[in-house]
Amino acid sequence: MTYPPGNPYGGNPYGGQPQPGYGGPPPGGAPAGVPDTLDAQTLPDDDNVNPYVFCVALNGDWFMSKGAMLAYYGDVRFEAVTEYSSVQAWVAARFSSPVYVQDWVVASGRGKVLIGNRGFDLNSYDLDDGNLTIKARNLCAFSPQLELKQSIVPGFVTLLGTGKFIASSNGPVIFVEPPFRADPDALLGWADCPSPSVHHDAQWMTQSLRGMLSGALGRASGEERQYDFTGQGTILLQSSEVAREDPAVLRLVESQTQLLTDTQAGALGQRLVARAQQS
Amino acid sequence: MPFEAVNSKVVRARVSPATPVLARRGAMLGYSGQVTFRPVHGQGRGVGGMAGAALSGESTPMMATEGQGEVLYGYKGLHATLLELDGSAPLVCEADRLLVHDAGLQTSVAFLGSGGIRSAIGGAMTGQGLFTTNVHGRGSVALLSHGGAFPLQLNGTQVGVDPQAYVGHVGRLTVDLAAKVGLRDVVGRGSGEAFQLRISGHGTVYVQASEQKS
Repeated sequence: MTYPPGNPYGGNPYGGQPQPGYGGPPPGGAPAGVPDTLDAQTLPDDDNVNPYVFCVALNGDWFMSKGAMLAYYGDVRFEAVTEYSSVQAWVAARFSSPVYVQDWVVASGRGKVLIGNRGFDLNSYDLDDGNLTIKARNLCAFSPQLELKQSIVPGFVTLLGTGKFIASSNGPVIFVEPPFRADPDALLGWADCPSPSVHHDAQWMTQSLRGMLSGALGRASGEERQYDFTGQGTILLQSSEVAREDPAVLRLVESQTQLLTDTQAGALGQRLVARAQQS
Repeated sequence: MPFEAVNSKVVRARVSPATPVLARRGAMLGYSGQVTFRPVHGQGRGVGGMAGAALSGESTPMMATEGQGEVLYGYKGLHATLLELDGSAPLVCEADRLLVHDAGLQTSVAFLGSGGIRSAIGGAMTGQGLFTTNVHGRGSVALLSHGGAFPLQLNGTQVGVDPQAYVGHVGRLTVDLAAKVGLRDVVGRGSGEAFQLRISGHGTVYVQASEQKS
């Protein structure tokens, strides 16, 4: 995985250069040499227009998250992955995640497509026969040479193979090496290292419990639960622990309720109703 | 200098047994090393203390970070500004602007403004509140802001600041809430700039690039 040259952050997490620690310098605005008005010719090829907009030079097919497309030049069609896979059999083979399939489209044709994600910072990553797991909500687009699999960690997807993908992050991405423990919401993804395990901060929980018993505010903030990374690899972190609502989470949890017996499912339903009525 | 800016939104704190830090609860992004977190109730050991904090609503849940390691802090994607307090003057800000600070610093709750019914109305209408937090002592602080905070240097001069854009200040400064409430403002037809903080004296005022708080 390497950054393309001309990336606004200039960081090179693990190409030829040594890992610079926690990410590179902050974005310095638009790259030099970009004219004030852009058109189909002056838009960059497969590069950032500014830290928040990426331009894909499309020639063939690309997978794109629904709503990521801001604008496009040229002859480009957007079709839902579900429909497109009936025409092109390879699509279903590349995109093996039924939970996420309805949030994705295939852009096909020739032209330039501008991608953005609510003002989040966008970065492109080049995978070279590697694997990278990323928060599904932050993955904006990927080339059809890559294969997408649903990760065992809920809310994450894994990209396999050789190709380019584009992902968003709140603030610049921070690269860290294990051993490291990350807030699950701030975690953007990880590459080339074992799946995380969950670490519970025992001290936090006992202290919180004591706080609750003494009548003070002891609301769980989620700080007691962290993802624990070990081994070799790189962890990608974003600058915020605010998780955006992921519509696939509902489908994901629902698909897992098949593990429950009918009695257990009924009990779960009652608890969920009670919770919904409380808030 | 225990704090370091990783980028415009993330601060790295080196924690050791001698230098624990206090951070806003929920602001931990990740850490390496042997570090534990402990919820802290109340607003610290300063003059106002817990009673003042509870009264004023100036009590943002905080947590203590102890042990040995490096911790990354960030909150809701807000920008973080690093300040070094030399102990000569307290930092004055809203409690929920504090991302992380040295545990050795003392916090207390104080009044902002000249008092009286006029500022009471002002506090209620701007949502800015009458109370602020004072951070005393020598150490590092990271302040949260929307869009980044920039310093305005005051040398005996005066500056007017939109209460929504005000982040905090350090130095020998007096803050006066100037309210210019006319009938138009009451019916919602005013300029929208009826309230201003008039700040004068010697010191630094931090103003954010947005009128949004979080």
